[in-house]
Amino acid sequence: MGTAVATGVMPREAARPGSLARQQARFGLLLAMPAMAVFCAVILWPFLDSLRRAFYEDTLMTPEPVFVGLANFQQLLEDGTILGTWLVTAAFVLLTTAFTFALGFAWALILNERFRGRTLVRALSLLPWVLPSTVVAFLWAWLLNGQYGILNAVLLKVGALSEPVAWLATPEGAMAGIVLAKTWLSIPLFTAFLLAGLQGLPREQVEAARIDGAGNWHVLRHVTWPHLRPTIAVLLVLGALGNLQQFDVIYAMTGGGPVRATTVMSVEVQRQAFQAWNLGLAAAVGVVWFLTILGPAWLRLRAAMREA
Amino acid sequence: MLDLTSRIARGVFGFGFLGLAAFLGFPVFWMVSTAFKPQAEVFVRFPSLLPEAPTLANFRGVFAQGDLPLWLLNSLLTAGGAALLTTVLAVLAAHSFARFRYRGRKALMALMISAQMFPFAVLLISLYPLLQSAGLLDTRLGLTIAYIVFALPTGTYMLFSYFVRLPEELMEAARIDGASEIGILLRVVLPISIPGLVTVALYAFMWAWNDLLYAMTLVTSPGLRTVGPGLLMSQLGEMRQDWGAAMAASLVASLPVVLAFALVQRWFVQGLTAGAVKG
Repeated sequence: MGTAVATGVMPREAARPGSLARQQARFGLLLAMPAMAVFCAVILWPFLDSLRRAFYEDTLMTPEPVFVGLANFQQLLEDGTILGTWLVTAAFVLLTTAFTFALGFAWALILNERFRGRTLVRALSLLPWVLPSTVVAFLWAWLLNGQYGILNAVLLKVGALSEPVAWLATPEGAMAGIVLAKTWLSIPLFTAFLLAGLQGLPREQVEAARIDGAGNWHVLRHVTWPHLRPTIAVLLVLGALGNLQQFDVIYAMTGGGPVRATTVMSVEVQRQAFQAWNLGLAAAVGVVWFLTILGPAWLRLRAAMREA
Repeated sequence: MLDLTSRIARGVFGFGFLGLAAFLGFPVFWMVSTAFKPQAEVFVRFPSLLPEAPTLANFRGVFAQGDLPLWLLNSLLTAGGAALLTTVLAVLAAHSFARFRYRGRKALMALMISAQMFPFAVLLISLYPLLQSAGLLDTRLGLTIAYIVFALPTGTYMLFSYFVRLPEELMEAARIDGASEIGILLRVVLPISIPGLVTVALYAFMWAWNDLLYAMTLVTSPGLRTVGPGLLMSQLGEMRQDWGAAMAASLVASLPVVLAFALVQRWFVQGLTAGAVKG
């Protein structure tokens, strides 16, 4: 970190050490205090306290939590659910992030071109991201409905199906359904980020490549992609972290089922904590979750701190 | 950027445009269309695209029997409160991080940003007993406070990215004119940061309005229910399998946040992406 003089930020500080600079620094610190106090009370402390509970037996049966070491983790391993939960989560996060990126990127390239009505299309295509998550879940549950869903109607009409399928009632169908819904919901965000990145691409670079005879593919591969790389890195990490957090759409669409086919970690934590009232076990799942995201989280933090 | 002079390129472009536009647009269109259909047109194997005999019956039903207006009010109060609280706190912290140099600044900032990664569901495990012991469980105020979790770290970072790009000369000039530090924040920084403020407020509002997880866990009284859990419970309960009503209720529940968003959409996208895309 170093002093202000060393980083060369506010050279005036060197001339008058102690007086104005110190006063200002004190004021700056004071300004951050309300947010930091609230932050510690409702975010940092609850988070650390939640992790601590992983080492306690804390259920409706235990009026006072009892320290049990790694017993909760042992129980997770023994009943074998954690591996399944982890795999379901990984599948959901990977599929959703990959689809969202691919489609969001294509959509950003399209909206980056000039055409009539572009402003309107850009504004409208943010819509999925704005809708309440319960509404998104309803929309897709209705589209995929086994009896009256439009997807079945179309597939039956074109002859791809001979019988209607209750998509959300099968394990694969339910997973595909939540991936589809979350992809749909996140494309606008990905597109907005990539579009902002594309608008920062200097036109001369593209023109220079064109003069050298580059086709679309070459421009995309050797001009656009390198320019977007930093944006893409941030976006993929943010997107994956967001998908890892996802609870609402999954819970409202499938409730984690059928059986446990769509029980991701967030659903498992909520279920263990507030339906089975086993806070210790829920916290143990939370610890596994936290260890999983430590890698991408570290990348995100490093990128974000570059400006500070 | 793309070269669309060749036939093939135009074909691929057109195909991609139509395909993605349909994917993104159709679900919303289908919600609106279903919401205006009479029951007889909803429950058929091969439905028509547009309602043949459009009706407001679904909306009337939703407002007559449901508690939708109450949920909307509860959502408005909690999401509005969360937006206000988050924005005020984030402004102060972001200004501090962007304009001042003091020991521990980077550590505080890193702590704040790293909280973006804390899983919301895990936080609940301790947030629940915390609110309970404060007597705030199952209250609108408690839910409002819990909603700070969603947007304070991201909001602070977004505003930081915004503030750090403001020219230092502006503050220097004000300082030379004898403005106090508070005066600089209120009369120099804030007036030129409206887009950033609106972005953070709307971001916090949207997260709270759209939330299901916290609302369904921290609030259980039917009278305090917000839109997300309200819709879900009714779909599991009396509105069960009445998809016309479900789509009508969804449409109404979406309107406030869609309208708020439509008003400030331009600023919002700029503010949101500012941190990730170097200006």
